[in-house]
Amino acid sequence: MQLKHYSLALLTILVVFFTACQEEEYALPTLEGGLHNDCIKRTLGPNVVGLNLEFAYAMALPKAEGKIISAQVEASIAGAPATYLENRSFSTNGSGVDVPVTVGSPSVNSGTKTEVVFTKDTCAATLRYFYIIPEEARGKTVKFTFSAKASNGQTVSYEMGPYSIAKMDMKLDLVVSDNNNSYISIADMAVYNAATAATNAANIDLVYLYRVITGISFTHALVSPASSPDYLPGITLPSGVNKSAKIWKVWALRDQHLARLQYGIFIDDLDFQELDFTGAPNYAINLRAEAGIWVETADGKYRAYIYINKIDNTKKEMTISIKRYPMQ
Amino acid sequence: MKRYFITFIVITLVTFSWVRCTDFPVDEDGLLITTRGQCYVSNFELLGADFQTVRTKAAVIDTTAQTINVEVFFGTDLKNVYPQFSLVTDAKLDPKIVGKVDFSDIANPKVYTVVSGNRMVKKPYTVYVTVQAKP
Repeated sequence: MQLKHYSLALLTILVVFFTACQEEEYALPTLEGGLHNDCIKRTLGPNVVGLNLEFAYAMALPKAEGKIISAQVEASIAGAPATYLENRSFSTNGSGVDVPVTVGSPSVNSGTKTEVVFTKDTCAATLRYFYIIPEEARGKTVKFTFSAKASNGQTVSYEMGPYSIAKMDMKLDLVVSDNNNSYISIADMAVYNAATAATNAANIDLVYLYRVITGISFTHALVSPASSPDYLPGITLPSGVNKSAKIWKVWALRDQHLARLQYGIFIDDLDFQELDFTGAPNYAINLRAEAGIWVETADGKYRAYIYINKIDNTKKEMTISIKRYPMQ
Repeated sequence: MKRYFITFIVITLVTFSWVRCTDFPVDEDGLLITTRGQCYVSNFELLGADFQTVRTKAAVIDTTAQTINVEVFFGTDLKNVYPQFSLVTDAKLDPKIVGKVDFSDIANPKVYTVVSGNRMVKKPYTVYVTVQAKP
């Protein structure tokens, strides 16, 4: 009985040993015939209206079988007019630089389709597609069908998506200054001076001010008009400017869309949805560059993130960028 | 032979579990109760909603009077701050800090009790917060 078990174990070990050591002969891969394609999405982060969705679409067939005659992308929602498909194929040289080679005529948009007709005799190309997200796509999903045609009549296609398009808006590089454009409207995504703020009083959510007060750290501040006068020293609010927005101070949330820095952080719709403003104050003082504030407007209609790109103590101003999400 | 072996194993296991339970007791929070009787706060920090300090200078900790005095910047939102206590080794804090704390009622300062590692000594520390005065 014991001998039988030993024999079985030895046999198993030998089988495993021989199987593991079996050498496979290398053979040159055989070229697969026909037209083939592949696609990758190059952009990261949430898809915001006005920004682009970038793809790289590759297509190839054996040289002996023919050449590529056209490439096309069909989007489920037509892109903004600036949408295009590159008519150049890029390769990366030894220095890491993308070198273009023109392979076709500039792309033509027709409804939801964008097409490049090849003018060069080529059997392989990688074209980049830049879909500029249109206003009609806000809050919806969009998908794409990439396709290519070869001179031998073959066609191939590749589906990408669906991708969700964010509901949020974005506005970059608004300059607010202590003595001029110091009134911020989240609803309008704009800054106003005292005179224009009076005519848009219902939409003013924040006042920017810069103060150097001995003994305390005040400097750059974003304050709700309805905040305590302690936080609005020397400010005479225009008539009707009296809203109280809720504010959370934030540090080091450098959204890549807003900051355009190296940090791979993106604020998406979900972040706005999940914010809790319970007990939030209505002022933020002593702000610095690369800091920010989450804001909820007094009527609860909008939530926003205001990122501080730059501050200038001499000019008493700061440059801000805003992402805004409609709650209603 | 087999019976001796099993008896030996059982005795060893019982001994080990008994030694473990007596040498390393844990409290209701699953923390080790040790022999340390020291009971004090070694450092105190107060962070704002942006997780940046709101102190104007280092907090003054009086381990005899069992008080912590901390001055915060003008404009600090004291309803939403995160206190952080550094305690002597093995000690713990009661009540536990699980999130934002409201320190805005300056007239009624908050009291946190430090409990020593042996859980035999309890010292309440009162946290006095003052806001940087506007000139």
